[in-house]
Amino acid sequence: MVRYVVWVPVVFLLVRSLAGRWLWPDVLPTEWSGRAWGAVRVEPVVNSLGLAVVAMVGAVLLGIALAGAFRRSAGVRWAVLTVALLPPLAMGVGLHGLFLRLGLTDSWWGVALVHLLPATPYAVMAVAGSLSRFDEDLAAQARTLGASGWQVWRYVKGPALLPGIATGAAFAFVISWSQYVLTALIGGGRVLTLPMALVGYQRSGDEAVAAAVALVFLGAPVMLSLWVERGWE
Amino acid sequence: MLLAGCGKPHEVSFAMWAGDEARNRYFETTVREQVRVKYGLELRIVPYGHTGEVVSKLVTEKGAGKVSGGSVDVVWINGENFRAAKRAGVLWGPIVMPRLYPEAAYEKDFGTPIEGLETPWQSAQFVMAWDTARFAEPPRTLEELKTWVKAHPGRFTYPAPPEFSGSVFTRHFLLAKGFAGGLADLREMKPYLWKKGETYPGTVAEVDRLFANNEIDFAMSYGPSFASERIARGSFAKTVRTFVFESGTIGNYNYLAVPFNANDQEAGLTLIRDLTSFERVFDMAKTLGNSFPQKGEPAGLERGVATLPLEVLRKHFLPEPDADELVKFEQAWRAEMLLKP
Repeated sequence: MVRYVVWVPVVFLLVRSLAGRWLWPDVLPTEWSGRAWGAVRVEPVVNSLGLAVVAMVGAVLLGIALAGAFRRSAGVRWAVLTVALLPPLAMGVGLHGLFLRLGLTDSWWGVALVHLLPATPYAVMAVAGSLSRFDEDLAAQARTLGASGWQVWRYVKGPALLPGIATGAAFAFVISWSQYVLTALIGGGRVLTLPMALVGYQRSGDEAVAAAVALVFLGAPVMLSLWVERGWE
Repeated sequence: MLLAGCGKPHEVSFAMWAGDEARNRYFETTVREQVRVKYGLELRIVPYGHTGEVVSKLVTEKGAGKVSGGSVDVVWINGENFRAAKRAGVLWGPIVMPRLYPEAAYEKDFGTPIEGLETPWQSAQFVMAWDTARFAEPPRTLEELKTWVKAHPGRFTYPAPPEFSGSVFTRHFLLAKGFAGGLADLREMKPYLWKKGETYPGTVAEVDRLFANNEIDFAMSYGPSFASERIARGSFAKTVRTFVFESGTIGNYNYLAVPFNANDQEAGLTLIRDLTSFERVFDMAKTLGNSFPQKGEPAGLERGVATLPLEVLRKHFLPEPDADELVKFEQAWRAEMLLKP
């Protein structure tokens, strides 16, 4: 049941995006049109996907690297949580000057780097969660049996941490995917992503185009959640 | 030209407000193609949701000492943003262009002397829309509107200033009755507004929606062709028309400027020369339904079904008050209409 309720807004958006003429008090559009879908561009989709994948991979690697320290050190925990809780706008304004000096503004990699910032804490916390349930004795046992460091990671520790890694990856992806403020500030309008396109049309009141862009915007997280859900089953 | 040898097209970037799908498409196809063929320049659109974003970016860049190689060669700007940009010294100029626009367009922008730091491009003028299927004649003066609002409680509202269209709506009262008188008129209408004036729509999009849904009876915009465009898009009924007050409605020009740290000022000027040429402005008026802002009236310009004739709009054109007074009036409006019970 819950599964179907989720689709209600999606169906509404689909109808809205295809409505050519939809006036009160009509329940359904009286004319249909593909205009809104013609306005959907490939560039923001490619940018958003690329940035989200980079943020996901980067955040997971950092998550694995920092999860141990996060569990042991209160300082690391404090730092990670602060980054997670800091509003992106405050973070962005502070970083803008720094990125300018480093020549990272208005560039794709600059935006990728700044997306990593809010994404990483979630990956760290997710991996640390799995790590707390991992019995270090298992790793010691594998080593006693002659496993190399890589083999211990590949066959024992890695698989045990996988749920945390998958959750962290999904979080990192979605955080980058929905990022507006940091993209606008650091990208300077030169790196066009889906949220930026969406906000533009939404502000101007072009509901049909906003609905079409919103559907594309929903696509990746929906697929991601279906995939994660299957992983849990 | 230096880069022509490298096989990479020389780029010119244009920062423009990008919430209008039709205009975006026009720039991404027609303008880009023609600029490439005519000048060998690759047009790069830098879209933004609000002009203030570009100005604050330029101010930050100036503070950080980024004086060249900026990401914007031409910016679309006016009013308060121009004033802020001029004060911060982030515009390059003076820009010299053929004087195709009425002289007034070169002098002041919302009361701020232009001094060549921006050059006129398009114009806007406030209009209101009503649906002829609901009633035949709209109120034609501010007094008539006030009477109408009191006779039809709940059927009128405007976006809360500083939203652009709501702000300009309130300024008509400022111009007609002065600071205190204008405020008193707005105060008098307040209890008869939509939701008893206890709340106001935040955006013009919301007013459009209320109007289309028959919850209120007037929509308003700073774009004279907005109703025609909404009809074409299917969000307004085909019977909607626009009107201006007999005493006139406020209009302004919007401008093009070159940032102080533009990567290529020459390319920027080339783009400005193209965008402000008669051919381009005429084509934009024809394709996008913008009003024609230059001197004279060209033949063969068709207007949208709900758009007023150019001579009617021009005859009723009132200039914007000073930007400082405007901000004070907005603040007074907030104190008087939102914060007081």
